[in-house]
Amino acid sequence: MDLHQLRERIAQIESEVAASLTKAGSGDAVRGLDNRVLGKEGSLSALITSIKEYPPDQRGQVGKLVNEAKARVKASFEARLAELRAADAQAEASAAGAFDATLPGVAAPMGAVHPVTAVQWEVERLFERLGFTLEAGPEMESEYNNFEALNIPASHPARDMQDTFWLTNGMVLRTHTSPVQHRSMKKFGPPLRVIAPGRCFRYETIDASHENTFHQIEGLLIDRDIGLPHLIALAKMLLTEVMQREVELRVRPGYFPFVEPGLEIDMNCRICGGKGCPTCKNSGWVEVLPAGMVHPNVLRAGSIDPDEWSGFAFGLGLTRLAMMKYGIRDIRVLNSGDLRATVSPVRLGGPIVWEKSA
Amino acid sequence: MLISLNWLRDYLDLPPQLDPRALAERFTRVTAEVDGVHPIEVQARGLIAARVARLSPIDARTNSVTLDVGGGKTVETVSIAADLHPGTQVVFAPIGSHVAALGDIRTAKVAGRTSSGLILPGEALGIEKAFQEAIFLGSEFKPGDLLPADLFDDVIIEVDNKSITHRPDLWGHYGVAREVAAIVRTALKPFPVVPVAELGKNGQSQIPIDIADASACHRYSGLLLEGVPTQPAPLWMQLRLGHVGQRPISGLVDLTNYIMLDLGQPMHAFDAAKVDRIEVDWAKEGEKFATLDGVTRTLASNELMIKCRGKSVALAGVMGGLETEVTESTTSLLLESANFDPATVRRTAKKLGLRSEASARFEKSLDPAHTVLGIQRFIHLARSMYPRLKITSRLSDAYPSPHRPVTVAVKTRHVARALGRPMGADEARRLLQPLGYEVTEDAASWTVHVPSFRATGDCSIEDDIIEELARCSGYDAIAAAMPHVTVRHFPPNPTHRLEHGALQYFTTAHPFCEVFDYIWYDSNWLRQLGIEPGECLELINLAAEGMHRLRKSLMPGMFSALAKNRFHFPSVALVEVGSVFKHRRPDDQEFRHLGLILADHRKRTEDALLQRLKDAITGWTCQQFGCSAVFAEIKPDPGRLWEHPQRTAGVVIQGIDSGRMSVVDVALRRRIDEHLGSWSVAWAELRLSALEELVRRPEPLASLPPHPLVEMDFSILVPKTTRFAELAGHLRELQTPLLRQVRYITSYEGESIGRDRRSLTFRFVLGHEERTLGDSDIASFQDLVVSFVRGRGYELRTG
Ligand SMILES: [Zn+2]
Repeated sequence: MDLHQLRERIAQIESEVAASLTKAGSGDAVRGLDNRVLGKEGSLSALITSIKEYPPDQRGQVGKLVNEAKARVKASFEARLAELRAADAQAEASAAGAFDATLPGVAAPMGAVHPVTAVQWEVERLFERLGFTLEAGPEMESEYNNFEALNIPASHPARDMQDTFWLTNGMVLRTHTSPVQHRSMKKFGPPLRVIAPGRCFRYETIDASHENTFHQIEGLLIDRDIGLPHLIALAKMLLTEVMQREVELRVRPGYFPFVEPGLEIDMNCRICGGKGCPTCKNSGWVEVLPAGMVHPNVLRAGSIDPDEWSGFAFGLGLTRLAMMKYGIRDIRVLNSGDLRATVSPVRLGGPIVWEKSA
Repeated sequence: MLISLNWLRDYLDLPPQLDPRALAERFTRVTAEVDGVHPIEVQARGLIAARVARLSPIDARTNSVTLDVGGGKTVETVSIAADLHPGTQVVFAPIGSHVAALGDIRTAKVAGRTSSGLILPGEALGIEKAFQEAIFLGSEFKPGDLLPADLFDDVIIEVDNKSITHRPDLWGHYGVAREVAAIVRTALKPFPVVPVAELGKNGQSQIPIDIADASACHRYSGLLLEGVPTQPAPLWMQLRLGHVGQRPISGLVDLTNYIMLDLGQPMHAFDAAKVDRIEVDWAKEGEKFATLDGVTRTLASNELMIKCRGKSVALAGVMGGLETEVTESTTSLLLESANFDPATVRRTAKKLGLRSEASARFEKSLDPAHTVLGIQRFIHLARSMYPRLKITSRLSDAYPSPHRPVTVAVKTRHVARALGRPMGADEARRLLQPLGYEVTEDAASWTVHVPSFRATGDCSIEDDIIEELARCSGYDAIAAAMPHVTVRHFPPNPTHRLEHGALQYFTTAHPFCEVFDYIWYDSNWLRQLGIEPGECLELINLAAEGMHRLRKSLMPGMFSALAKNRFHFPSVALVEVGSVFKHRRPDDQEFRHLGLILADHRKRTEDALLQRLKDAITGWTCQQFGCSAVFAEIKPDPGRLWEHPQRTAGVVIQGIDSGRMSVVDVALRRRIDEHLGSWSVAWAELRLSALEELVRRPEPLASLPPHPLVEMDFSILVPKTTRFAELAGHLRELQTPLLRQVRYITSYEGESIGRDRRSLTFRFVLGHEERTLGDSDIASFQDLVVSFVRGRGYELRTG
């Protein structure tokens, strides 16, 4: 090959490159072409290897021609790559015109605890923060733990009041979580701070506001110099936190044989705003917290000296509290297993786009 | 307990413009819960007394009545009231009169006749219990007399009975008036009675009273009277009784009822011709006795009776006898005012189903002082009503062991502790005296004398006095304050930690929704499912028919929840944590279980659902116990229909048999709900109680290997009948110094590997402490696996 032929060969390669380059639609294609032309074995690079075939005085010329051609081809590759990148960017930008920032997220299928459990956990966390320990007791209780140890002797009218489910083995379904008071006193002795959630049972007719199976959470604090101001302070804090609002309390006498003085602590009804509704028995107040100072007989039954120690106890109606908190009007849905009534609609199905306001 | 405001006004001065609701609210805050305030607004205008002159029946119920309305005038009216007789006087609404319930009274056509005015039925006068009955009048009015309009209107305060079970004094208006007087700080008027001395000077005779068991009858007072009232009680008394829910009956009965509602002391009257001495004694076992209501009852020897010459004449405190009832021919009365043991009365009333206003009061432990006081009150009222009534005996009063006055020592330190502030004796006296207490003081304590009407109820110890002080000074007045407490360490409760962890996990890491079900089986539901539960722990008193068996498993109840939800969701995931009961002699046991259900509307996805359950359970055990669950082949229990004959597995956690899981076969699915026939349902039930003692294993973290580890995956093709556990057992035998760990990755079934085969993929981790593995190590391990797999008769899957 003489110089003339070399020039023609270079021109031919360059025109082939130009033709291929216009067809190369992607960076990868350009890079492939690059390899075929400028790579170790590429068509332009191959020309350099033939340099030894030229007379020595022409070799400088050959090198110059090939290198200049390589530079031009390289530049054309760069230009094409730049073109393609610009086109990509433009394509991406124009595709983004369909981007919808407002399209909602759809949560993965979600589970939920029962509303009563949710409230129970809130109360537990609150009292754990105050240094109370969590205890549990059985649903099948001895008559002694459910009644006698709580100052409710066999002849006591309260045994009627708390109409009881009796079992054929002589045990009872606990009518309240209060047996855990006695169990905890026996287990730990004073001073004591206990919270005990659980299911309770009363033999009564079910309607929209009465259940024979419901949840309570028992609270018990025994220490030196404990009095009514402490009970009221804790009640206020408890209800305010759980309801996430400033609650109004009504503290009034209540009769429970295991406390003296016995109290009923009511909170203002949010369902009707105080005007009266079935939930608050038209009084504007909801009974949520039967409570009182632990009766000395109960302390003694738990081997605690009432002269040295005093304490308060309460039996928070978790079921009622959950109803108040979540606006549940019919207590029967809670044990029905109907998820539509016990799981927040937010957790069931996709995001709610529109809903008729209540 | 219904309280008449008119009645209270007899005993204390209340402002005429008093707001009854405000009073009720204060009563609720200081004394006992008020359930409601019910105004009785009869708005009577122009009501008169009228005497029945003639009656002629129109039909079985209806009479045409000619009434004498005074001034020689008569009117014709039509009435359906019973017991109308010529000569009886009734409350009459003439033309032009008015009551709220009926409006203005006009001439009306009734049963084809013109009725001029109306014999008013009880309900129009606020006497609900006298529905469609006439209200009869005694000789206090003459025909044509205008009836005082202000008698008819009242306000009734309804006190929750449950909130006064410990307060015998509040079962009568006078006791309520005492509380109200203390609340509104006004004086309580004395209780109007004849002096007791007057009961001691009447003739020589005295009824002999013999109490066999003083622990059952604390006191028995009796008096003989002549000139039995035949007239109706005065209108004001009938109205008051009617407004608080008592039906006016007759002069004598109304009077005893009035005293019961006034003082809280029930009374009974015998025909003195038949009862001339009193013996209080136990019934003979099996004795038959006819009570006032006409029913003959069989008695047990723990029933307390009133007897006369060995013959029973009344069930003490519960009901009188039919034979000794006061009748029209009775000329002489024996009045009983007694005090019985509450538990005895309660037992009998409950057993015989005879709970009455009287027995309800005896059950509250009445003040024995009220037996005589009741008689004094009876005579006081009777004299003004029935001037012909004569006392014909001296008062008999058997009181074998008089109650001692109760005094309570109160430490001022304890008062201050409970109230959060010190209280002086003067303040205590100011609060307690209106309630009948007397207070004397010492240096650090007081002596409080409890009035007899509180001593039998709730007031016997220091804390009772503290309650009186707290409520009367006002719970609202107590300044809330956080307590100062001792910090103490408590070990965590395992039950609680376990249940909380499980619920938290299954509802957040997986989409299970928590449900609650009752702890008893519903027999109808079990029958529908075809489940025979076997021997269960049972309830004596059941919530409803067929709900006597306590559950042994959570699953039947959870199936019911599934049936409720299947219509609303294409797939359902449920979790329940609850108690189940095992009927086991000698001791029945309660266990805590966790139930899981996964259901999908697509058919034949059971295996996938079971796998998801296994994944979920394993995730939970990793989190809660730091270990994986192991699933074992077990035989389904034929007694548990929800265990599939071929698809049931056992769950083992740290070597403990912890529960079972399975899928529900189509027959049971259909019985749960016909539509579930085309669904897939899998479940698991775990015995949480068995896991309480399990400690969470610490999970030490691996230290980084000094030389890189090599991971190699091998898929082994096995016949479908080969169990994972079997293969895993083989793999544990594969021991070379380089092998560090074998993990299970996944399983695959599909046409490409043949219908009767399954591919199980394992990851083998290789490494050496001192050097990096080379190609030859890997090649030789590969050879080892190949020959090992072939040697066990399996095949490696390639590609
Ligand atoms: Zn309300």
